[in-house]
Amino acid sequence: MKDLYENTFQSVEDIQQQFEEHNYICNSQIATCTYIAYNLQKPIMVEGPAGVGKTELAKTTAEILGVPLVRLQCYEGLDESKALYEWKYGKQLLYTQLLKDKLSEVLDGATGLRESMAKLESHDDLFFSEGFLEPRPLYRALQEEHGCVLLIDEIDKSDQQFEAFLLEILAEFQVSIPELGTLGAKIKPLVFLTSNNTREMSDALKRRCLHLHIDFPDEKLERRILNSRVPNLSENLRHEVVSFVQQIRELDIKKVPSISETIDWAKTLLLLHTEHLDSDVVKETLNVILKFEEDIEAVSGQISSFIKKAHKE
Amino acid sequence: MQQTLEDFFKVVRSAGVNISVADSIETSKTVELVGYRDRGILRDALALSLAKTTEEKEKLYECFEQFFAFDAFQNTSLLKPQPSTTDKTEQQAEQPPAGEQQAAEQEQAPAEYKGDLELAKMLLRNDKAELAQTMKKAARKANITDIWLFTQKGINTQKIMNEMGLRELNKEITSLGKGDCPAERALSGQLRTGQKYLFQEVRNFVEQQLSMFGKTASQTIHEEFLKSSRLSNIEKRDFEVMVKIVQKMAKRLSSMHSKKRKRKDRGQLDFRKTLRSNVAFDGVMFNIFWKSKVIEKPRILALCDISPSVSSYSRFLLLFLYSLSDVLDRIDTCVFTNSLIEVNDIFDQYPVQQAVEKITNDFGMGGSDYGNTLLDLKNDYMDKIDNKTTVIILGDARNNNLAPQTEVMKLLYQRAKRVIWLTPEMESFWGTGDSEMLKYKPYCNIVKECNTITHLEQMVDTILKVSAQTA
Repeated sequence: MKDLYENTFQSVEDIQQQFEEHNYICNSQIATCTYIAYNLQKPIMVEGPAGVGKTELAKTTAEILGVPLVRLQCYEGLDESKALYEWKYGKQLLYTQLLKDKLSEVLDGATGLRESMAKLESHDDLFFSEGFLEPRPLYRALQEEHGCVLLIDEIDKSDQQFEAFLLEILAEFQVSIPELGTLGAKIKPLVFLTSNNTREMSDALKRRCLHLHIDFPDEKLERRILNSRVPNLSENLRHEVVSFVQQIRELDIKKVPSISETIDWAKTLLLLHTEHLDSDVVKETLNVILKFEEDIEAVSGQISSFIKKAHKE
Repeated sequence: MQQTLEDFFKVVRSAGVNISVADSIETSKTVELVGYRDRGILRDALALSLAKTTEEKEKLYECFEQFFAFDAFQNTSLLKPQPSTTDKTEQQAEQPPAGEQQAAEQEQAPAEYKGDLELAKMLLRNDKAELAQTMKKAARKANITDIWLFTQKGINTQKIMNEMGLRELNKEITSLGKGDCPAERALSGQLRTGQKYLFQEVRNFVEQQLSMFGKTASQTIHEEFLKSSRLSNIEKRDFEVMVKIVQKMAKRLSSMHSKKRKRKDRGQLDFRKTLRSNVAFDGVMFNIFWKSKVIEKPRILALCDISPSVSSYSRFLLLFLYSLSDVLDRIDTCVFTNSLIEVNDIFDQYPVQQAVEKITNDFGMGGSDYGNTLLDLKNDYMDKIDNKTTVIILGDARNNNLAPQTEVMKLLYQRAKRVIWLTPEMESFWGTGDSEMLKYKPYCNIVKECNTITHLEQMVDTILKVSAQTA
């Protein structure tokens, strides 16, 4: 297995091409960002609406680089013990119980409290060693032999304290564990942080990252993405599907369909052996792309005009 | 190239994007990596590492296009013989293609230039690229990036021209023009034309630089002016800027006050709690408890007079309060002219700015009647007010000579945690004419003159601070 930074990305175009080979179609901005992040070993903060391929970007990068993807899903109340490490309390307890009998051997006839203490202290602090450490994603990412891609997903869902805690890791790629000391990364991981912008991130965190905003793709790019993800879809239907979805995105609705929904819809239509979009099929399958009853109602009235336009294009 | 990059940072800063020293170092590294070869990639790289939000990204793209536009000397042909130099666009339109122009020059047959002044040579060669470069170098020497105000345009143009060798060129022109040889005189005329064009180009360039670098300076001056001017005097066109100022102030205040929610593990020992918890250890104090203070977020009831005389003050108070939702527990808002109207639902439905607009438009008619308003308050809202509520009243207390109903104010004062009255009038006007301010004053914890945005900021700061101390 190669190390993370051994198979270098040669250039921005090179990245774009390699992404394409792995079915991830991206614009030059995304490729440039990955190129810079990879070469300068800087984290990337990816923002954008849900379902535009933020998480996918990290996955594909890991796939291309041939390193594992370590994922940390953030949520409210996430803390160090869930993100970094925890002591295996159960194991520690069990071992102390099992080893109780051996205590007299260890102490070896020591008399008095002072002598027993000194004897105990001459042994290593075995119960707080790596064997009793439960590694969590961040710790695993730092310890990964060949480096890895670290995906910190939906960072906006975590608390401010956690954000502050991340700063040390993102800047120095090291963590401090009181019992073991400071641990540095074997190979600095390539870090992706994703955010849906539900809250503003602190300036300190933003400063340490490259800021990448992924928006909905334009029609041409979306067709290419669809082509690479659902290759069996006929060209006509692909045009129609993309045009239809693009028209929906213009509407003022609660949840605009994203790329992942377009792909799901295309797969659904393929499964139903659809050749052309017509009102009935669209009505039956609209719930694949729209997730709210109000949205479905809002779009229902305009289905036929949308299809008409989609056929024309 | 580093200098260029630093100039670019300056431009971006003046567009309102904060770039720290660390940012600029990181960005320099990034640029070193991607190089200057591909304009698109360079632009993306700069945007990725400098901008922190989508809006900043847009600003940055704009700055990039403006800063890296190489359009100096592109529009004019330097040595077109011309009858008048006043109307530049007309000349551009009349410009003949290159071939014809050469022919025209040959007709005039000026003498060949034998001097060694570079600038003259460049002008005669019509070497636009070289001229543009010399101008940029001269501009850097003249510290053009420090340009601040439009009044500095002339001096900066002059400085750059001098740096490029204007004096020498003038000497050359005069000495050639003095001679008897017609060919030399023609050459002198040609150089003079060139010099005029050069002047125009440099002036254009300076104007461009001013629009890039001078933006912050004029903005800051304008903002400072707005901060200290009376809210009723602020023009509608400045509202947008004001909204931004208010948001900035609110953000600062909320970050100052948001963290002080709980004070723990310091101060006085909570003896009772400590003893109780350590009963199990035979009274040996293993666990120690301190008296902790939970600082409650203030709950606010805002009563805003929106009659025409005070509505602009109310507008900004509301804008301020609703931008502070992080540090305030709850805001109830009622507006009044002659009776009390609850407007919470409007704030729930619309974004703050729109809501404020709608409220002032919909309800802001008629003269104030504080007495009646207070009676409404007594009848409908008294049960909502308890010892955690801070009541803020904004109005001039000019009651149009109606009954002031001070007893309701007294009741309010007894019930609420604090009553704060903000008035746009100066203290010396209180109690004059139909003002009932002096009658209401005894029943308020604070009465304060408040007519600029800075006053408002100080006021809100006090509200948040006091609530932290007294909790």
